[in-house]
Amino acid sequence: MRIPASALLLLLAANAASAADTPVDFNREVRPILSDRCFGCHGPDANKGRKAGLRLDEIEGATKKLKSGETAVIAGDTDKSALVHRIRSNDPEEVMPPPDLHRPLTAAQKDILARWIKQGAKYDRHWAFVSPQSHPTPTLQDTSWPKDPIDHFILNKANQAGLNITAPADRTTLLRRASFALTGLPPTLAEVDAFLADPSPDAYEKRVDGLLASPRFGEHLAVGWMDLSRYADTWGYTGDKPMFAWPWRDWVLNAFNHNMPFDQFLTEQLAGDLLPNPTQDQRVATAYNRLHRMTFEGGSIAEEFRQDGINDRVMTAGYGFMGLTLECSRCHDHKYDPISQRDYYSMAAMFGDQNENGLLSFHGEVPPPFIRLFKTDEDRKKEGDLRTAVLAAEKALSQIPLPAAATEVAVPVPVAHFTLDALTKTGADNSIAGGQPAKFERRSSPEDLKLVPGIKGQAVKFDGDAGFILPEFKQLGRFDPFTFSAFVRLGEKNVRATILHATGFYTGDGDATGVELIVDHGKLRWSLIHLWPNSAVSVLTDTEMPTDTWQRITVTYDGSSHASGLRIYVDGRETKTTVLRDTLNAKPRDNALEIGSRSRDAGFRNGSLDEVQLWRKALTAAEVAVLHGIDGRTLPSSTLAEHARLRMDPGYAQAWERLQLAQRALATHQESAPAFFAMEHSELAPKSYVLTRGEYDKPDLAKPCEPGVPARIFPWNPSLPANRLGLARWLTDPRHPLTSRVMINRLWAQVFGAGLVATSENLGMQGDLPSHPELLDTLAVDFIKSDWNTKAMLRRMVLSATFRQSSTPTTDAREKDPANRLLARGPVLRLTAEMMRDQALLAAGMLVEKVGGESVQESAKRRTLYTYRKRTAPPDNMLIFDAGSREVCQPKRLNTNTPLQALVLLNNPGFVEAAKNLATRVSKSSPEPAAQITLAFRHICTREPRAAELAALTELYAFQKANPPQFSPPTPAEPSPKPDPKAKKTAAQPPVLVLPRMPADPSLAALTLVCSTILASDAAVTSR
Amino acid sequence: MPPDKPSYDGLLRPTRRHFLGTSALGLGAMAMRGIIGDAHAAPLPKGTHFPAKAKRVIYLFQAGGPSHLETFDPKPLLREKNTQPLPDSVRQGQRLTGMSGYQATLPLAGSFADFKKYGQSGVEYSDLLSHTGELADDICVIRSMHTEAINHDPAITFFCSGNQVAGRPSMGAWASYGLGSMNENLPAFIVLVSQDATKDQPLYSRLWGAGFLPSEHQGVQFKAGKEPVLYLTNPEGVSPHARRGMLDALGKLNADQSAAELDPEVDARLAQAEMAYRMQTSVPEVADLSKESPATLAMYGESVKTPGSFAANCLQARRLIEKGVRFVQLFHQGWDQHGGLPNGIKRQCKQTDQASAALIKDLKQRGLLEDTLVIWGGEFGRTAYSQGKITKDNYGRDHHPRCFSVWMAGGGVKGGQAYGQTDEFGYNIIKDPVHVHDLHATMQHLLGVDHERQTFKFQGRYYRLTDVAGNVVKAVIA
Repeated sequence: MRIPASALLLLLAANAASAADTPVDFNREVRPILSDRCFGCHGPDANKGRKAGLRLDEIEGATKKLKSGETAVIAGDTDKSALVHRIRSNDPEEVMPPPDLHRPLTAAQKDILARWIKQGAKYDRHWAFVSPQSHPTPTLQDTSWPKDPIDHFILNKANQAGLNITAPADRTTLLRRASFALTGLPPTLAEVDAFLADPSPDAYEKRVDGLLASPRFGEHLAVGWMDLSRYADTWGYTGDKPMFAWPWRDWVLNAFNHNMPFDQFLTEQLAGDLLPNPTQDQRVATAYNRLHRMTFEGGSIAEEFRQDGINDRVMTAGYGFMGLTLECSRCHDHKYDPISQRDYYSMAAMFGDQNENGLLSFHGEVPPPFIRLFKTDEDRKKEGDLRTAVLAAEKALSQIPLPAAATEVAVPVPVAHFTLDALTKTGADNSIAGGQPAKFERRSSPEDLKLVPGIKGQAVKFDGDAGFILPEFKQLGRFDPFTFSAFVRLGEKNVRATILHATGFYTGDGDATGVELIVDHGKLRWSLIHLWPNSAVSVLTDTEMPTDTWQRITVTYDGSSHASGLRIYVDGRETKTTVLRDTLNAKPRDNALEIGSRSRDAGFRNGSLDEVQLWRKALTAAEVAVLHGIDGRTLPSSTLAEHARLRMDPGYAQAWERLQLAQRALATHQESAPAFFAMEHSELAPKSYVLTRGEYDKPDLAKPCEPGVPARIFPWNPSLPANRLGLARWLTDPRHPLTSRVMINRLWAQVFGAGLVATSENLGMQGDLPSHPELLDTLAVDFIKSDWNTKAMLRRMVLSATFRQSSTPTTDAREKDPANRLLARGPVLRLTAEMMRDQALLAAGMLVEKVGGESVQESAKRRTLYTYRKRTAPPDNMLIFDAGSREVCQPKRLNTNTPLQALVLLNNPGFVEAAKNLATRVSKSSPEPAAQITLAFRHICTREPRAAELAALTELYAFQKANPPQFSPPTPAEPSPKPDPKAKKTAAQPPVLVLPRMPADPSLAALTLVCSTILASDAAVTSR
Repeated sequence: MPPDKPSYDGLLRPTRRHFLGTSALGLGAMAMRGIIGDAHAAPLPKGTHFPAKAKRVIYLFQAGGPSHLETFDPKPLLREKNTQPLPDSVRQGQRLTGMSGYQATLPLAGSFADFKKYGQSGVEYSDLLSHTGELADDICVIRSMHTEAINHDPAITFFCSGNQVAGRPSMGAWASYGLGSMNENLPAFIVLVSQDATKDQPLYSRLWGAGFLPSEHQGVQFKAGKEPVLYLTNPEGVSPHARRGMLDALGKLNADQSAAELDPEVDARLAQAEMAYRMQTSVPEVADLSKESPATLAMYGESVKTPGSFAANCLQARRLIEKGVRFVQLFHQGWDQHGGLPNGIKRQCKQTDQASAALIKDLKQRGLLEDTLVIWGGEFGRTAYSQGKITKDNYGRDHHPRCFSVWMAGGGVKGGQAYGQTDEFGYNIIKDPVHVHDLHATMQHLLGVDHERQTFKFQGRYYRLTDVAGNVVKAVIA
């Protein structure tokens, strides 16, 4: 078990003295007590009625006279300070903290608080909210040992605790340690031999540089960043469909491999889309914000999940870049850190700046906003060229002069005409010869639809649940002109009612894709949607429809992909509309047209339709007028001229055709490239408000939140743009107290097993104090000065004398510092799930090394970071070794020890297969079992086995060989996976890995069991 | 010992080696609980805060949202008002899901199933649950459960972990963490998923996950068949004898390593491997139902013979708790009747009724019921109105978090009562509401745990199963 850093520091303090007048350090000793025991009720959160009006997180509040007449803290006067009285009280009504907190103060803690008040009750700013300063390198008596200023800080503190440094680790151990720290893999035997054979004094430096230059470096660093960024390959909620995200993972590992400066790494992920002329890669980086889970569960409420998504983004950036628990402020002001609920929703405004839907499409399409991922620069250039061609064609079209007004207007024959004078058993007849009839959609029957007197003969009145479907009427795409016309009568002021649609079913807009004519708070909304709201064209009438009045409503779409191509006519005349959306950028799904109803949505309740007509072309304004019985000759000449242009001008028709071809070519090219989710700022994004108690349906309209940051942690520079790019600039300001410290601490943890701040996920007031604050700050400053050079910083750490020490403690060191917080010996790491499996594959010669690409199943034998991660069913062998599900940001993995881990190492098919292959591999090297065993041991554990180890393994070999495996039936055939014919073959369905059987050859079988045993041994699962 | 570990107490903690040497719990218990190297995890079991009435829990989770109106909460008025619209005064503007929220009308649907009174206590049960009804005097039905989420995924996550955000420890993980294991050969928290259920809504491993607790508290899924626990089976050709040889060699390797590295983690690792070896024997033993008497098998019903069925899992659960498993959670899917409710719920009840009742009887016969808490229920209830059309013999019900029923028995529960009351539409609670947090608090209370004191510090905050809420429902406790 590890002793927290603060306890160690106390140990150091206790060594000095513990008299009543020992100076108290506010940050180290007082604040942790106040924060943990008092701030819950007397802290920054004003929402829940700060108890007794007392606030202890700042001096003004603590020393204020309270309503009760008491004053909590009177500097220098313990007798009069109510705080001292209350913490010392034995009266359960009076004592603080109150008994129901279940966290009483110890005598030592009471003493610290009293001494603090006696000594003047000085408040210091929380250490992590003060910009880091470089500290002078401590001078040491022994100057031969240190190799880097790091070592000065480490040895200085170790000496203070009465510890001395440990001798260097042997070279093999050091190489294994450095290889795991930098690449996540052990060295190969060839690398070991080459390293041991290199006599040059800089042999280690050269090897470290080799490791840093290896593509394995980026693969290894990516793992931690994927945990933090909750990277996975599925969406995570019910159904858990595949999520196309791996290009972002490749961006991350490439960024690490190319040693992208960390400030750039941060900026491109948070705000790559907001950089000037962003590249495709910079936009891919922003998927960082989109990796949160999304649901398509039927009946989900879009706003609830949109807010959850935004929260996830804020939370993830909070942990990843600031080491803070920002999400605590979602429902109330932060209980410990100076982050108000308003600050939180200002951050939410930054991350919620998308024109997006909270729900995933049922069909799992990439949720907009998205970009197109072109493979080559040529393809990207081609897209640009095609765009230019569209613009040119649009221009050419617009330059064609208006012809003379038409003198005759004839309405084209519709493809369908439903008079609705009668209903048949199955629906309604189409009066156009050869036209398809309308059918009752499957939930309805004749009795659900009522015949009522219409404008011509009978009409149909709808109940809101039942309607007609036109199964043949499909293919209303973005380039397909269309007209719908009918007499419409509203029977009530519908808040929402579907008149017509070809969108399949409705799940809170998340899945409605196709044309749609609905009543929206009494107005008409006419749209063509790919995925609402980002990829759609949509217009809304300015005026409401009257109720109980027949009107002929005609809507047209000209196939232009623009909102300007959507028109709404009332009684033959165009009505004014407002454009809601004009960003259709992919094709809608192909659904049948439905009238009067929609699954899971409000149909045309109490509304009536008569004389429904459909055209597969856009009627002109003149035709719509004539259709309604308006005399064509009375129409304005502009309308007639437009009609002439659209129907009679071959030049215009040709130019229109050219434009359509250009648009189709662009669309075809775009759709040939996969869509990839990315951030895209939109002015249409909903505004952010403080949500009362964090509830999505309780925005406090009196508290709108402009984009902003928790400025009490670090001031906002008003010259920065108030968006994600500004946020990135704020975070990477060299004076920002958190960003550099958080990253240094994380790099340190990667190399030394634990951060200088052990709670690497939380540098706020409830986090641990740094074990070596001066070192952390100095490194943070160095990091910024080095232009945020990640590789250079890691290089310093692994080249330090501290890192190079042997990890074996002296008895004294183990007693004084069992958790090795002071690093007076080298670090020990239990391998992660990834390292453990990668090591086995490498040792067995089975590892398929290929950088990047689609995620794969374990059977592909790639490095584990590429293993397909299904959020609701993560790989068991990884969960058992403390990898998370990647449902939410995981800043740190625990390090547990369980029986199931032993079962994985001994019986998981992958590990057994590795043991078997390794046995085959080493059996060919030498006829001698001892030599074979030694080689196998080295392949896995890097070092030579010690004599006792070799003896134990040789004995095991002899025992197993003497008791060869018994099979029934006696002639073994390798089992093969039996494919389940019913199982769907998707990447999300892992193939069943088959547990290999033992080789029949007794020697090989014995050697396999030896390899298996080595894989499960401590020397294999650790880097020491 | 205080429930949390203020950092100043760190110095008072024994080193692991001291503990391994001196603890009365011994190496096995230590190993089972697992050992972690993290300053934020409390490494020792807290034990109980007060005497426990229940030592263990069997949770029969009915996933999908069973309708309370056809099972435990009779509403004659709904039959009277069948097909009439739900009055706005009852709905009170509460949110509906997008599946029925846009429906033109919300027609009330009376239960097709009849109810009658059972036992001395006269609590009413539906005819679909006659076996359960027979035990009315042992059972406490809570008719006033309510929850927060309205969709399956958030709601079932909320029920199983006290929060709809993913990543929180599940109920069983808390029990394992807080109370530790009672045996040296089996995990403390075991999960059984019915293979005979209609898989309408999926389950997720987070429902039995350890969340931020150390991973050894994760529920271990037991599956029907040759390998009840993942990776339990040795590769073909590796006999138990051969495996023993490997462990002996492993022991020697690690002993040498321990001597060389002076690291107590090495010994702990070996203890885990030994436990794994014992599990290889103990798990197949406990999973073997063939030794059960014909009378016992008959009690659970015909489907007990189908491996992995709900009935077989109920019997399996009894065998597991007999061996000292702390928390067994069954999952039975198929309760999500948006449409076709009558046939759907008949099937569900047929699959679960007899075996659930048999489990109680079986526990009782063996004297285990008094300290084993059995809970039956799903993540929410269903609407009083029909989703879609009502026909003569068909209707459906949408999700309804505002009220639903669960039952508890054994383990200190006061049987023979129906607690809480809903309005005559079965839509709102009118008396003694029980929130999910309250149920969790009560469950923990019966286990001897103060739900406010069992906490785990994570990311700077003290977390507990009941978040910041929850009251023990005293009236359901005997």
